[in-house]
Amino acid sequence: MSVDVAWWVSRAVLAYGLVGLLFAVLFVSLGVRRVDPLAAEGTLGFRLAILPGCALLWPLMARRWLSGQRHPPQERSAHRAAAAAQHVDDGA
Amino acid sequence: MAHSYRAVGWNRTKKVYDRTLVLGVLLFLALFVGATATTNPDMSAEIMLMRAFGTGAFVLLHVVLVIGPLCRLDRRWLPLLYNRRHLGVAMFVLGLLHAVLAVVVYHAFGDVDPLTSILSANARIDSLSQFPFQPLGLAAFGILLLMAATSHDFWLANLTPPVWKALHMLVYVAYGLLVMHVALGALQAETSAVLAGLTGAGLLLVTLLHVIAALREAPADVPHAAAGDRVSVPHGVAADQSADDCWVAVCPVDSIPEGRAHITCLAGERVAVFRWDGRVAAVSNACQHQNGPLGEGRVIDGCITCPWHGYQYLPASGRSPPPFDERVPTFAVRVEDGHVLIDPRPRPPGTELEPAIIGDAVGAGS
Ligand code: FES
Repeated sequence: MSVDVAWWVSRAVLAYGLVGLLFAVLFVSLGVRRVDPLAAEGTLGFRLAILPGCALLWPLMARRWLSGQRHPPQERSAHRAAAAAQHVDDGA
Repeated sequence: MAHSYRAVGWNRTKKVYDRTLVLGVLLFLALFVGATATTNPDMSAEIMLMRAFGTGAFVLLHVVLVIGPLCRLDRRWLPLLYNRRHLGVAMFVLGLLHAVLAVVVYHAFGDVDPLTSILSANARIDSLSQFPFQPLGLAAFGILLLMAATSHDFWLANLTPPVWKALHMLVYVAYGLLVMHVALGALQAETSAVLAGLTGAGLLLVTLLHVIAALREAPADVPHAAAGDRVSVPHGVAADQSADDCWVAVCPVDSIPEGRAHITCLAGERVAVFRWDGRVAAVSNACQHQNGPLGEGRVIDGCITCPWHGYQYLPASGRSPPPFDERVPTFAVRVEDGHVLIDPRPRPPGTELEPAIIGDAVGAGS
């Protein structure tokens, strides 16, 4: 990779990381309790433990926070999907 | 299995595991530095440490990768699996120390910033001796960082276990990048065939164990109806009822050891059929924690106990006993003529279904 391209790539990575870090501090302080009830009572150690992940996956967590989702998503698997479909059919 | 998250859910086993891990790592580092200082006394302390941390991380990565297949081949390895995430985080910390020293030694004092320097170093991809091996290490480091950063249970819940597992499968990509990083980087500077041999042997070991474990498990993933198994209509079901009411015969009830499970494939996934205290019940095989294989666990105190980290489920309902709230899908079960029959339609997670009673059913069927 040429020095010019490498310079732009490294700026993009740094910008993503900086935005992520700022978001993560806000999110673990205020947002996390809104998207996951189990996190409401989270200790300081817990908040610090999830902070790097929030900084890396900030677009995902920001979207979830902004969308107002109150719970983590449900796991998807072949059995869970088939059971849910069956349940809907039975109820109909 | 918790009401709120903590930084780490410590218990005695985890403490023993982590203490052993830290002692093992320190011992490895001391041995590596001692051996290098003896055989290569001119090497600078930074480079010696950089290699010690890098080699330690690479060795730990091998351990992380072989634990899974080893446990599938022989249950006696399961204690190693219990806290594998801490093993992964320890490996990442060693990798981080290696990376920091590499940046300090080779990239901190140039004309450009360290990241630009790494990305633009050795641009000769057509040359083995000048191949840009450091970006390979950087890419692997990025993957390991993502994995370490998402190792907490919060991420399991918020990404969901299948997505979390898929994300953590990237460890194989990281491993491939690191094998090339080592082969194209460190080994170029070494004349010793021992290092090359060890790297090759590690790659062979990881590959072989995965292939053997996959071959051993392949029969469990053959869908039952497609395999030509016996399909029967239960007693009392009208002859004109739909094919939905078919039951699939999965195994002779005697083939399931007491307190253990037979694993089969129904409705696109594995199902664990447990036998305990004269009863039989079936649940989806994937534990709600990290999708561990419930069917490789045992019934302890009346609960299916996951072999990976000990989450428990009641066999009849697929629910964790109170106060916990994990749930897995369940399947209706009958025992007829000494065979276990399963209705292949999964019920919603946590649905209570009557277990089949072995004595009654065998008596009724015979
Ligand atoms: S996967 Fe962790 S307890 Fe089952």
